[in-house]
This record gives sequence, C-alpha cells and structure tokens, in this order.
Amino acid sequence: MRSPKERRSVVTGIGVIAPNGVSTESFWKATVEGVSVLDRVTRDGCEHLPLKVAGEVRGFDPAELIEERYLVQTDRFTHFAMAAANLALDDARLGRADYADSPFAVGVVTAAGSGGGEFGQRELQRLWGQGSRYVGPYQSIAWFYAASTGQISIRGGFKGPCGVVASDEAGGLDALAHACRTIRRGTDAVVVGAAEAPLAPYSVVCQLGYEDLSSLDDPVRAYRPFTRDACGFVPAEGGAMLVVEEAAAAESRGATPRAVLLGHAATFTGASRWEESRAGLAHAIRGALSDARCAPEEIDVVFADALGVPSADRAEALALADALGRHADRVPVTAPKTGTGRAYCGAPVLDLAAAVLAMENGVVPPTPNVVDVCHDLDVVTGRARPAELRTALVLSRGLMGSNAAMVLRQGPTPPS
Amino acid sequence: MTAQLTLNELAALMKSAAGLTVDPKDLANRADMSFAEFGLDSLGLLGIVGELENRHGRPMPTDAERCKTPRDFLDLVNTNNDRANADKATVPTTGA
Repeated sequence: MRSPKERRSVVTGIGVIAPNGVSTESFWKATVEGVSVLDRVTRDGCEHLPLKVAGEVRGFDPAELIEERYLVQTDRFTHFAMAAANLALDDARLGRADYADSPFAVGVVTAAGSGGGEFGQRELQRLWGQGSRYVGPYQSIAWFYAASTGQISIRGGFKGPCGVVASDEAGGLDALAHACRTIRRGTDAVVVGAAEAPLAPYSVVCQLGYEDLSSLDDPVRAYRPFTRDACGFVPAEGGAMLVVEEAAAAESRGATPRAVLLGHAATFTGASRWEESRAGLAHAIRGALSDARCAPEEIDVVFADALGVPSADRAEALALADALGRHADRVPVTAPKTGTGRAYCGAPVLDLAAAVLAMENGVVPPTPNVVDVCHDLDVVTGRARPAELRTALVLSRGLMGSNAAMVLRQGPTPPS
Repeated sequence: MTAQLTLNELAALMKSAAGLTVDPKDLANRADMSFAEFGLDSLGLLGIVGELENRHGRPMPTDAERCKTPRDFLDLVNTNNDRANADKATVPTTGA
C-alpha cells in the first residue's frame, strides 16, 4: 500500500437526484442553462404552512429504482440517497465483480441534517392514533441519520468503513473529507454524499423556526443571495452521491478520474452568527488551500454558500476577500442553488458535482434569479460563462454554525 | 375457533410487512430454509409477529420473532393457536 500522503482521492462517479433533474445529465443541463425550478410547495399536508416556496423533487418514482424490500423500511431521504448512489456506481462502472473478492475495500459515508421525518411522522401518528402495537419495527432505523449509509452498504455489499456526518449544511463537504481520510487510511473506494427530504409536514414545521427561512410566496423573488432583495433561503430536497476512489486503484481498474479532491477544512462559529462566519469561513478557505497546497490565484471558480441573508452574504463576500486577497475581485463566483433551493447537507454535494461538471465542460453555470449583485464579487448571472477551469473552491455554511471549504482540481485526463 | 396460519398468509405478510414477493409454493417447498435466505430480516419478522398479534388481539409466543425458518414459525404460531383454543374451551375456575 502507498503511504497515506500518496493516496489521493479522485471522483470517478456522480449520481444526482435534484429538484432540477433526477439524473446527473438532466441536472447539469438545467444547471448550465440557469433554469430555476423553485415553485410553490405542493406536498400533501404542507400547502397551508407558512413556507410557500421550495425546491421539490418531482417525477421521482422510487419504486422504479429501488427494490420494494428496501422501500418499506426507508424514508424518502434514503430513497434519494440509494437512487443517487446507484447512478454514481453506474457512472463509475463500479460493479459487484470489481469488489466481490474485496468487499472491505469499499466504504460508505453520508451526511444528514434531519433524518427521515416523513416516515417518522407516519409511525408516530400510528402511535397516537392506534397505540404502540401499531408502530412498525422499521421505525427504529428509518428515521435515523445513519439510515442511508446503512442501506447503501447493505444493498451494495460494501463492508468497508462506514460513517455518517450528522450536521448542518456544511456536513456535506465534511462527509467528502471523511471519505478522503478513509481512503488515506487504506480503503480503495467510498460511496459518499448526502440527500435530504425536508419537505413533509413535520419536517417543514421543524424549519419554520429558522429566522433565515424565506417566507416569500413568489418563486422568482424568494431566494436572491448577494442582492439588496435578499430575504432568506429556500429549502430543497434531494442531493448527490459520488464514488470517490484512491487514484491508483481507480487507474488499475480503468476508471476515469473526473476530479481530484485536493483539500478541505472546517470551522465552527455558532448558530446564526453570520458576522462571525466571516472569520470562520475565511479560516476554512485558507485551511483548504493549505491542505491542497494551492495558491489563492489558482482558484478558477467559487461555488458560494449564498445563504441569501444580507449579513451572511456580506460575511461570505468579505471572507473571500480575506482569504483570496485581490483574487476575490476577479474570480468568477456562482451559486446554482438559487435555481433549486438549499437541500441542507445535500446542497454542497450538489455544488461539488456541479463544480466537477463545470471543469469538464469549461463553463461556469449561472446563478438563477439573481440580478444586481451588491457585493464586490464577480457573480455569474444571467447565462453560463465559458472559462478554462482547472481548480474550483466549494463553500458551505450551516444554520447551526458550521463552515467548510473544499478545493478540487480537474482530473488528469478529461473525458473526451 | 382461531384459524391456522397458512403458507399463503405468511407469504402475504412477508409482502405487506417486509416488501418481499415470495411464492407460497416456494415457501412450502423450502420451508426449512432460513428466513434470511428469503430476504426477511429480524425486524421484518418482528413486524409480521406484530401484525398477527394485532389481528388476533393476543400476544404470540415469546420466541416467535426468533424463529429461523417458515416451518418453525408456523409450527410455533399454530401450536399457540391450538392452546389458545383449548384454553377457551375449558374455562378456568381460578385466576391462576
């Protein structure tokens, strides 16, 4: 085995289940075209709640993608994760034959911010309505933050190191970092990412206390970070799963390394303390650059956190200036999530998937619904911008106070 | 009289409680194969026990959810049914 320092993590597969596409291809097409799919909430039992606009995943039929024996024991957030994992494994062409002799070489890591609210609500209603004998045994596992990791592991037969990051939004990047550490310690491949399903009655009610949640009912105006009209964020469901492999292991089985995960750092500055997040996010960016041995000037595009709260947007713009210096004025910044909403832990993984696709396609996707940026940032608005992209920086902050940054670089052999 | 649990009913319960499609004939032919090989995990069997308890309004034998094979399960559950019916027939005169 190579020494830990030499064991680099490359992305070989991407699977997306997002409001703007239930496949990686449709997600990227909508993302690069700047399509906004934010819309009025239509989910049963949610229509009368004060959250009016969200990014719903529509046209997703779990029964088409996942065997019934897994469906009955899992929540929607796990359906998304399992479907995305399938897409990622197919994309990486990583099948059972590849690890049949070495099942301990493949691990699973997911991040989760809330677990299975819809499943939990149904079972708890049975508890109140009919009594404890009517609560199904699968309630014990389906609501749980770790459910997606466990089910992906069981279904795929992945017996390598497994983990779950139970955290706020930034946990999506922290899960990817955890996968890189797992690979440095000797695991060949990790199925990693996050998907969330926060659009069910109980789950929505839990979010109503977030003062940063947008309550506008106009899908075009509800989520406009970096503008004077910023009035909070719009939540979304869905997410992305990736196959991340040790570079030499990927090469030896003939897989295409689509991007290299170069560096990561995370900090914590406290819930809803957005002014303080300036220093925390800047420190995370510096840490990720240092981990990646990358100079600020090498960053070709930034995928911003873009919370849509004025103080948070200002803190993010200042953090970029603090950490990147003059380069912060020049580097293109984008936030495609303004077209889909923020899928909690799934959001930064979707951004990372978009960053890989952006580098492959030589184009920075735009920031839908955002015009008249009021910060000293070159935010890409309107339409996608062609650019030679070698290195990307993805940022994420969570409502509970986590900040994370990840640096990734184009794969050594871009696909033709 | 409490009806005996049949292989058809067990197959239907495996479908509703655990999402497994099992042919009752297959269940009959391979009644000594483990539930795990049919794809039924311990929580799935627990769900089936719970459903039967709710249907019949009385508890199953304590080890019902520990049965390893369809035959063991049917034997235990149906023996329990026989006892319950016998108990109903002879009304006890004491609380013991």
